[in-house]
Amino acid sequence: MSTTTPPAVGGLTSQELLAGYRTMRVIREFEERLHREFATGEIPGFVHLYAGEEAIAAGVISHLNDDDYVASTHRGHGHALAKGCDVDGMMAEIYGRYDGICHGKGGSMHIADLSKGMLGANGIVGAGPPLVCGVGLTARIRKTAQVGVSFTGDGGSNQGMFLESLNLAAVWNLPVVFVVENNGYAEATSNEFHSSGLDVAKRADGFGIPGVVVDGHDFFAVHEAAGEAIGRARRGDGPTLLECKTNRYYGHFEGDQQTYRAPGEVEELRATRDCLDGFRAAVTEGGLIAAAELDAIDAEALAQIESSVARAKAAAVPDLSEVLTDVYVDY
Amino acid sequence: MTSVGVIANPASGRDVRRLTSGASVFDNAEKASMVLRLMHGLAASGIDEVVMMPTAPSVAGVLRRQLATRQPPGSAPLPALRFLDQPVTETARDSERAVAAMVAEGVAAIVGLGGDGTQRLIARGCGEIPLCPLSTGTNNAFPEMREATVAGLAVGLVASGRAGTDGLRREAALHVRVERAAGDRDPVEDLALVDLAVTGQRFVGARAVSRADDLRELLVTHASPSAIGLSSVAAALDPVRRGGRQGLHVRLAPVAAAPRRVVVPLAPGVVVPVGVRDHRRIALGEAVELEPADGSIALDGEREIELRRDDRALVRLVAGPRTVDVDAVLRAAAHEPRRALATA
Repeated sequence: MSTTTPPAVGGLTSQELLAGYRTMRVIREFEERLHREFATGEIPGFVHLYAGEEAIAAGVISHLNDDDYVASTHRGHGHALAKGCDVDGMMAEIYGRYDGICHGKGGSMHIADLSKGMLGANGIVGAGPPLVCGVGLTARIRKTAQVGVSFTGDGGSNQGMFLESLNLAAVWNLPVVFVVENNGYAEATSNEFHSSGLDVAKRADGFGIPGVVVDGHDFFAVHEAAGEAIGRARRGDGPTLLECKTNRYYGHFEGDQQTYRAPGEVEELRATRDCLDGFRAAVTEGGLIAAAELDAIDAEALAQIESSVARAKAAAVPDLSEVLTDVYVDY
Repeated sequence: MTSVGVIANPASGRDVRRLTSGASVFDNAEKASMVLRLMHGLAASGIDEVVMMPTAPSVAGVLRRQLATRQPPGSAPLPALRFLDQPVTETARDSERAVAAMVAEGVAAIVGLGGDGTQRLIARGCGEIPLCPLSTGTNNAFPEMREATVAGLAVGLVASGRAGTDGLRREAALHVRVERAAGDRDPVEDLALVDLAVTGQRFVGARAVSRADDLRELLVTHASPSAIGLSSVAAALDPVRRGGRQGLHVRLAPVAAAPRRVVVPLAPGVVVPVGVRDHRRIALGEAVELEPADGSIALDGEREIELRRDDRALVRLVAGPRTVDVDAVLRAAAHEPRRALATA
């Protein structure tokens, strides 16, 4: 049973700061490398990259324990890495190799590792919230202090099951947090054209639960608000809708020509809103962490990703005899 | 032509205080409705135009729909509504740009719909243009919770020149300048309208200050015993009148270590003890050097400036914006026929 309480607001230790930075940097290197590797044609299926949104996965999931659950999206690499899924196993999975954490049969959009509380990436838009309602109900019935956190995009927040989940969680007072990663686009449709009202968080009002907006580029803002929301869930005070305003650096999927974005939009975001740059400035200028420590993490993350790609490329694909294994579960 | 500027911050009423306190939610449809009611008040004084900061569709769209449908019979023609031509970034930059544009156009008054943070952004840029700050939430110490129709009547009288300057109140403000010891960080200057606090929280983060245990110092421009928020600490020690020439400087400590404690409403639904070391009045123009600390400076309840122990932070009580005293304007109008709405 989990009894961990979130750290005091703003009370991040050096270890927690370094861990947060490492999570974000590993995700960034993972995604930047996949962006290049996917273009070679060697990776099967689709990939949806999380670059630009790292502060959300790192800031939210740092409050969770292994026995807390995360239900992710099609853009799920960042959530899986932050939840502790093995980097080599993730890369091999995306390459469709037997060494992958789902033996290469899940791929980018179905990465899951139940031992880490990672319920999986999910190809169905908006499907995470109902899953964590199940987590929440289980935790309540079994009287554990577990928490479920779902991630959904702004597009997913327009799915009926997202709103149904808010209602169900509110009615049953479930220990869940619905995180909305609002990156401004549902695939190619800007939210000016797909959402009525500025904030998804506002929809929480209708269900009588708190809705909060934070800057999803800011690790500290996400970490603090998520700590409050997760602490609230763990104490039995019910669900929260946490909307993080963010941006993605790449297309909806790799290969997306992004004709719906303004020229220079991404370059401007990278120059002015980058979560890693913002974190580095805050902790070095604040005299909390030396730049050299962050540089060392950068180098380690780069080497780790380099090694994971080499391993994945060298690994075997699943044997034909594996086609029907891991498909059904015997009860 | 007489124009009145309106800044309605679509992002206000959404921050982390919905989790850390009992702060209520103020939705954007209600903000749009407030603007419409304000316009009916302004119409009674013959104000020609309302100039608004453009926002994403949530406020502007609702307002346009309401303008097309709600015109009570017998009411004066509404002012024309014009949105400024500027990009919408959904950041504080929108309000800053809009205030600068309104000042350049020479609007006769600015109405701010938002919390203390929104009002501070307007106050930093509006100079001598009268400001009418209207609250859109339960957290605020500077803007008033007031029916927008009535505020519109008073602002209309001020903007059309009929109220003179009698109904304007000179507010005080706390100017802060932080000199950085380490080389590559720029000095920072900013303004608080009600309170400035030093907290032990190192990062601006989710901004709101909702806890008392790591507060170190507090300065206020005024302290009303009925206020909510940080200034309630000062009010419990020595209430200070709004618009006067004095403020208060309070030094705080953890409750267990403090020689004195006061129980105050720190946030909606949060009534807690706060430890006090000492307090004293400060005069207009007086400067206070903050004690060296690692933490952050909160302006009007929101962390804004990250602070290092080797920084030097100087706070001065200065003259702030001129605000519309709605009661005083309407009282004068009742007594002096030349100011009354009936002569319009």
